[in-house]
Amino acid sequence: MNRREKIEEEAADWLARVDRGLSREEEVLFARWKAADIEHRIIFLQLQAAWQRADRLAAMRQPSPSASRLPRRLPLKAAAIAAVLVMCVGLGLGLAYRARDIPPQRFETAIGARRSLNLADGTHVELNTNTVIHASITREARTVTLDRGQAYFEVVHDDRHPFVVIAGNHRITDLGTKFSVRRDGDRVDVVVTEGEVRVEHIAGEHVGAPVVAERNMVVIARRNETLVAQRHPKEIDDAMLWRSGMLSFNQEPLAAVAEDINRYNTRKIEVVGPARDIRIGGSFRSDNIEGFTQLLRDGFGLKIVETDDKIVISN
Amino acid sequence: MVGVRACAIQGVRLEDDVEQWFAREILPLEPMLDRYLRRSWRDQWEVLDLRQDAYVRVYEAALREKPVNPRNFLFQVARNLMIDRSRRKNVVSFDSFADFDGMEAEDDQPDVEQSTAAQQEIRLLRAAIGELPPRCREVVTLRKIEGLSQRDVARRMGITEDTVERQVANGIRLLRKYLNPNQASPAPDTHLPAGSLKVSWK
Repeated sequence: MNRREKIEEEAADWLARVDRGLSREEEVLFARWKAADIEHRIIFLQLQAAWQRADRLAAMRQPSPSASRLPRRLPLKAAAIAAVLVMCVGLGLGLAYRARDIPPQRFETAIGARRSLNLADGTHVELNTNTVIHASITREARTVTLDRGQAYFEVVHDDRHPFVVIAGNHRITDLGTKFSVRRDGDRVDVVVTEGEVRVEHIAGEHVGAPVVAERNMVVIARRNETLVAQRHPKEIDDAMLWRSGMLSFNQEPLAAVAEDINRYNTRKIEVVGPARDIRIGGSFRSDNIEGFTQLLRDGFGLKIVETDDKIVISN
Repeated sequence: MVGVRACAIQGVRLEDDVEQWFAREILPLEPMLDRYLRRSWRDQWEVLDLRQDAYVRVYEAALREKPVNPRNFLFQVARNLMIDRSRRKNVVSFDSFADFDGMEAEDDQPDVEQSTAAQQEIRLLRAAIGELPPRCREVVTLRKIEGLSQRDVARRMGITEDTVERQVANGIRLLRKYLNPNQASPAPDTHLPAGSLKVSWK
């Protein structure tokens, strides 16, 4: 690392501290650092200029406070207490589920909502927008049926009681895992972030040849075809961004991007004409439809026509 | 004692004042200055060096007295630096430096509307944030678009404040790199025959 790179690293560290607010002692140290070398000041100012430029993006913020629909994460302390409670409840129910069967439970989310919950066996589940699951945890089997939507599972693995997700004509069996399943009619997509899953095609009594997918793999299952593909870890991360209310796109056609955003909003985006093929990259809050259309208007010069139930985008 | 303290406070004020002036008047000229240097200077890997040296000289001068016309002053300093260097190297003739007056006509494009510039800026910034690694991107997005404090970002994401601070520092450097791509100056191309002109910047 040359001298300027080293200064730049120090300057970035200082700017990050200034960004969160300096303590008294830090103010003294910061003044001393700046006074030591004129290049310290200059490189700090250069980084600060770039960092402040990003403030212009605040215009993208959605007008209503974002807390209105989505639950914010709890403060750490509360989250810790909640986690302990959940663990106690989970343990209690865990014993119960061995002792006696719990009637199947139904969980769902509305369009634009997310929800996280723990099943009786301790498995952690996060539901994305417009999702319905049924969970049946018995002595013999642990089965979740995904009627529609998308869910992420962190399974408490148990060889004797396999955890199974049924999504349409596909059965996904946990082999020690964190994974997500999305179902849209006949289409089932599985993304594995840790461990392994087995995916089988089941139609009535007939069971097709299973495929096994491990970490950083996706399974794309259609009516009669099942494809397993390796993905770059960054793509896997992006595919999981919905868990924090974000969507990420990597140079995808606007029509496909709009379709994805429509999953999260009751007001639907419709893209017509050549604008459908415009490539979009970047990440957006899934509920920030206003910010998204504003970006298309200001950034790409597209025409936006809004009505009560839809937003039509064209060149 | 009172005198010394007043003097010290005066010193701090002067520094703050020059910092603000430098950020306001000089740094926005950076893309133009880079273009000017790249066009005028044969050895592209020295452009970053020249720019930073020019900044140091301008900053030092401003501590004594702020120049009336910052733009002219900056380009004059840059030009003098190139002349000094080429004298020492004994390679290029002085009049080969592009005339920076010509740069102004090119950059003050009156036909480009203000709103288009703003659109381009937003587009560039979105693209810059899109390039960040996922976790860093989430931190920067919450901090800059949602306007949350670092502490609130930590709460929202369920990570420690130290982690947020590290990701902010990381994000700052990556944004700077993306927004000012000249940052990483290309290494000398050893296959280039001596005396040829490298035009990779076009």
